[in-house]
Amino acid sequence: MSAPNPASTGLSRTLIARQPYPHRHHNIYRATMSAPNPASTGLFINGTRETGQDVRTGNVTAALAVANIVKTSLGPVGLDKMLVDDIGDVLITNDGATILKSLEVEHPAARVLVDLANLQDSEVGDGTTSVVIIASELLRRGNDLVKNGIHPTTIISGYRSALKAAVSYIKKEMVVHVDNLGDEHLMNAARTSMSSKIIGKESDFFSKMAVDAVKSVKMTATAADVAGYEAMGSSTSATSNKHKYPLSAIHILKAHGKSSMESHLIDGGFAINAMRAAQGMPTMVESTPEAPVKIAMLDMNLQRHRMGMGVQVIVKDPAEIENIKKREMDITKERINKIIDAGAKVVLTTKGVDDLCMKYFVEAGIICARRCVREDLKRLAKATGGRVVTTMADMEGNEAFDADCLGACDSVREVRIGDGEMLYVYGCKGHGASTIVLRGANEYMLDEMDRALHDSLCVVKRMLESNTLVPGGGAAEAALSVHLDDYAHTIDSREQVVIQEYADALLVIPKTLAVNAAKDASELVAKLRSVHAKGQHGDDDPSLKYMGLDLIEGSIRDNLKAGVVEPAISKIKSLRFATEAAITILRIDDRITLNAAQ
Amino acid sequence: MASAGPMPGMGQVMVLNAKTQRTQGRKAQLDNINAARAVADIIRSTLGPRSMLKMLLDPMGGIVITNDGNCILREVDVSHPTAKSMIELSRAQDEEVGDGTTSVIILAGEMLINAEPFVRTNIHPTVIVRGYNYALQEALSICEKLALVVDVHDTVRMTSLVQSCIGTKFSSRWNDIMVDMALKAVLTVAREIPTPGSVNDVYSQKMEVDIKRYAKVEKIPGGEIGDCAVLKGVMFNKDVTHSKMRRRIENPRILLLDTPLEYKKGESQTNVEITDEEDWNTLLKMEEEYVENMCMEIIAFKPDIVITEKGVSDLAQHYFAKADITAFRRLRKTDNNRVARATGATIVSRTDEIREEDIGTGCGLFEMRKIGEEYFAFFEECKEPKACTVILRGGSKDVLNEIERNLLDAMQVVRNVVFDPRLLPGGGATEMAVSVGLRKAGLKLEGIQQGPFLAVGEAMEVIPRTLAQNCGVSVIRTVTQLRAKHAAAYEEIEKNGSDGAFPKCNWGIDGTTGQLVDMEQFGIWEPFSVKIQTIKTAVESACMILRIDDIVSGSKKKGY
Repeated sequence: MSAPNPASTGLSRTLIARQPYPHRHHNIYRATMSAPNPASTGLFINGTRETGQDVRTGNVTAALAVANIVKTSLGPVGLDKMLVDDIGDVLITNDGATILKSLEVEHPAARVLVDLANLQDSEVGDGTTSVVIIASELLRRGNDLVKNGIHPTTIISGYRSALKAAVSYIKKEMVVHVDNLGDEHLMNAARTSMSSKIIGKESDFFSKMAVDAVKSVKMTATAADVAGYEAMGSSTSATSNKHKYPLSAIHILKAHGKSSMESHLIDGGFAINAMRAAQGMPTMVESTPEAPVKIAMLDMNLQRHRMGMGVQVIVKDPAEIENIKKREMDITKERINKIIDAGAKVVLTTKGVDDLCMKYFVEAGIICARRCVREDLKRLAKATGGRVVTTMADMEGNEAFDADCLGACDSVREVRIGDGEMLYVYGCKGHGASTIVLRGANEYMLDEMDRALHDSLCVVKRMLESNTLVPGGGAAEAALSVHLDDYAHTIDSREQVVIQEYADALLVIPKTLAVNAAKDASELVAKLRSVHAKGQHGDDDPSLKYMGLDLIEGSIRDNLKAGVVEPAISKIKSLRFATEAAITILRIDDRITLNAAQ
Repeated sequence: MASAGPMPGMGQVMVLNAKTQRTQGRKAQLDNINAARAVADIIRSTLGPRSMLKMLLDPMGGIVITNDGNCILREVDVSHPTAKSMIELSRAQDEEVGDGTTSVIILAGEMLINAEPFVRTNIHPTVIVRGYNYALQEALSICEKLALVVDVHDTVRMTSLVQSCIGTKFSSRWNDIMVDMALKAVLTVAREIPTPGSVNDVYSQKMEVDIKRYAKVEKIPGGEIGDCAVLKGVMFNKDVTHSKMRRRIENPRILLLDTPLEYKKGESQTNVEITDEEDWNTLLKMEEEYVENMCMEIIAFKPDIVITEKGVSDLAQHYFAKADITAFRRLRKTDNNRVARATGATIVSRTDEIREEDIGTGCGLFEMRKIGEEYFAFFEECKEPKACTVILRGGSKDVLNEIERNLLDAMQVVRNVVFDPRLLPGGGATEMAVSVGLRKAGLKLEGIQQGPFLAVGEAMEVIPRTLAQNCGVSVIRTVTQLRAKHAAAYEEIEKNGSDGAFPKCNWGIDGTTGQLVDMEQFGIWEPFSVKIQTIKTAVESACMILRIDDIVSGSKKKGY
């Protein structure tokens, strides 16, 4: 980039003033560039450089801009964003990570926040918006402190110790252990996570669906998994935690039409977006008491066999040609017969099935579907306890179909959904799987429902794995803020002021919640703080520390009782991630942007 | 341009791509509402029996003349994202129930327009959304109470039902024929599907009505609309392969194949090097023998008609002609499936695997007929035709296309009733009943959501209003009178003291004259499932659009 136009790009004026020295080897380009500026850094680099307070302020401004984008989507009264891409495709969402992912964020520091949201999304699955808001607030306050002459390293160490104090406080005081986690708590957590989303208004319905879905994929956890939970910091009581809940076993299918309330969960079932390959096949197969329905999952072609490239067969007798031809047909036929003989009642393949072969399936009363998605088949294999078969050859070079590869289920049937058909597999006999079929007015709505439901599923999973919860609706943040304020007074070094700032920064969550609900943020937050201060200084009323915001009424209430709860692990993680991200950005005091190689 | 404001002492910090454009807050919401209004206005005039057609020109110069809501919106090229999302609604409606595509857009547009005052007076969108949803539940329960169950085989009722649905369309002059055809076609292809006893789920249907596959509409230009008919069997546009073959067979034995009856090389690459003259002859002979073999295998089953999806070689034709078998070639897979279902045959893929059961004997009469310049094969008088062909005749291609769209709509209506035999009064009666009912319920509500709740009721009035508007009577007077009729029904109940009972008031607007009529006597009914779907879709999509407070365009392709 030589001589960018400041008016068109809005880039900093300083950038123009610091036109770089062309690199020695690039002297040839010198003529095309403006004269070197004596005020430049003196380094011979082919790019621009910004240092000191400029870069820090720039970074913080960028981070704030990112937070401002997602701010209005926080909380039960947050609103959605409509994102339109360059070819006009529309995306309507409330999910912080999705918003940021779809925006073309160019500023490097802002990208750190985008990555932060993605990290939260993949690690916890929920709370992507709040993590970005906290990080940006920490940055803003950190930057002000630097301006007031506190060295960034002090701020960093202050933030670190504040984080440590906050996490230990959550673990010690805020966490509610729910030894026997009833559905009620799980549903509350799911409801809290989806309250801000498009399905929030039907949260009773969807939270039940989410809880049922997660519970249906319960698996016994291995020792490694349990160790994993402990490493994650969740306080595992050894007895209650022998299970894991792989969300990948929950399949979400979207079909437009009907209304969102007609979405349904196929408990222990799996749906595949594929239809019978021939109309003559039965629309359903059902198990008998003796034998379940066997499903063969193939990742190979059932088309007429053809020799691989370069394979040559030389025959002397012309009649042999005819035999080759016949053999080609018979190879596939034999394969199919082996599959049928193994007892398969349903045959699914990722590749094609020759029309010539349909008849065998039709005659045997088998449902066969072709061109299934491989990922779906893999999951179905897991769910039904089968294996995806890629070849029928065995070590001796013979072909055989191993009956062990077959999955088992209660019944399979073709169901008409909207304008298309799907295959429903009921009663999977393997590790369990569930499918949620979402219905809705149009595609955009379905996509958003999918994202919202995914968040809720993550939350329920975290809850089940950790058995701990914290009150939501700004309660945890307010309590931490009060606690950290007290903690700051016990520190006699420079970090004291930093920790105080950290305490104040956490209040950004209740503040934003109140602002989005069009309530008086200052007053509500003040009230909230005073209740928590009372709770922490003497007053024995245990419910005081669970006080959070009621955003509909604009008042303070016991959020634990009101059922606004979040998994403790997600709160702890989001604090950790936000602090780490803020520290990463605060540490930067020099930015060198290299010009693109010419 | 999304960037933080300029900081003192330094330039702007660019966070987003410079191309990105944002509309935020109130402006975004009002923009969305306006876009929805614009879309609804496009098709407003196509509702009701007095609807007008739209002529659409596509960039290639082709024309579409229609009053089908979905069809119009599909052709219109809109750029506003919200408008696009509205158009999607119409598509979803079309795929799910196949009717009511116009009303869903008008209703959704009206829901948003009625939300505008709330947005302007700073009521939080989530409050509006909550009110709307509450109203939706109430509206659905009103509809359920209003519903009337119909017997699918009651031809009179069904006829009037379908008539009310396609009454608005171009072919209304041939209403009786159309309705009759739709009924016949759907009842032909309807069949019960076995339900697994172990699975008790309410989401699966007990009936299968696959119009797309088994009720084929064949359009033949020429003739007149009065010549349209539903066959008791199937028909396709193919001539026999050999002119000597029989052209009329009673009770034919039909064999369906999907394999070529000609010599075909193997899939693997084969090179033949011949050094011997003898070998060359053997090779040629082998090819002939191969075809002969196949034909003999077929002839052994003594079919009268052989139909294949692939080619039939001259040699095979010769054998068939000699054996007095009529052969067709290159039939489409879908047509073949239909023939199979109508005649009870199974499609065979290898000639050495034919079995007696594969032969179809369900057909009563096969005949070749010449219509216009082309030959058509008719398989009629089938014993149990579970598939059928609908023949449409008419002046020009455009007319035929429009009739086809109407007929498809009509068949969808019948299908919906077969699935769910409940009916609701048409002509705006249901909407007015819901509207009045919501007002009654809304006045009892407390709190801020009352406004949005009542707004849904008002929005429902858009259907009778548009009906009145389209037939040119005084809108305000008619709608007020209608509202009064419905309100009176409520008052009567209150007077009788039987509170809680539901007044069944079926008064609506006769879309042709604009007069108020009792739909019960007038005989205009609409399927329950369509109405319900329309209301649900309209409210849900309005809620989705209301929740948006930020439109960012120029974002990158989503990777989600």
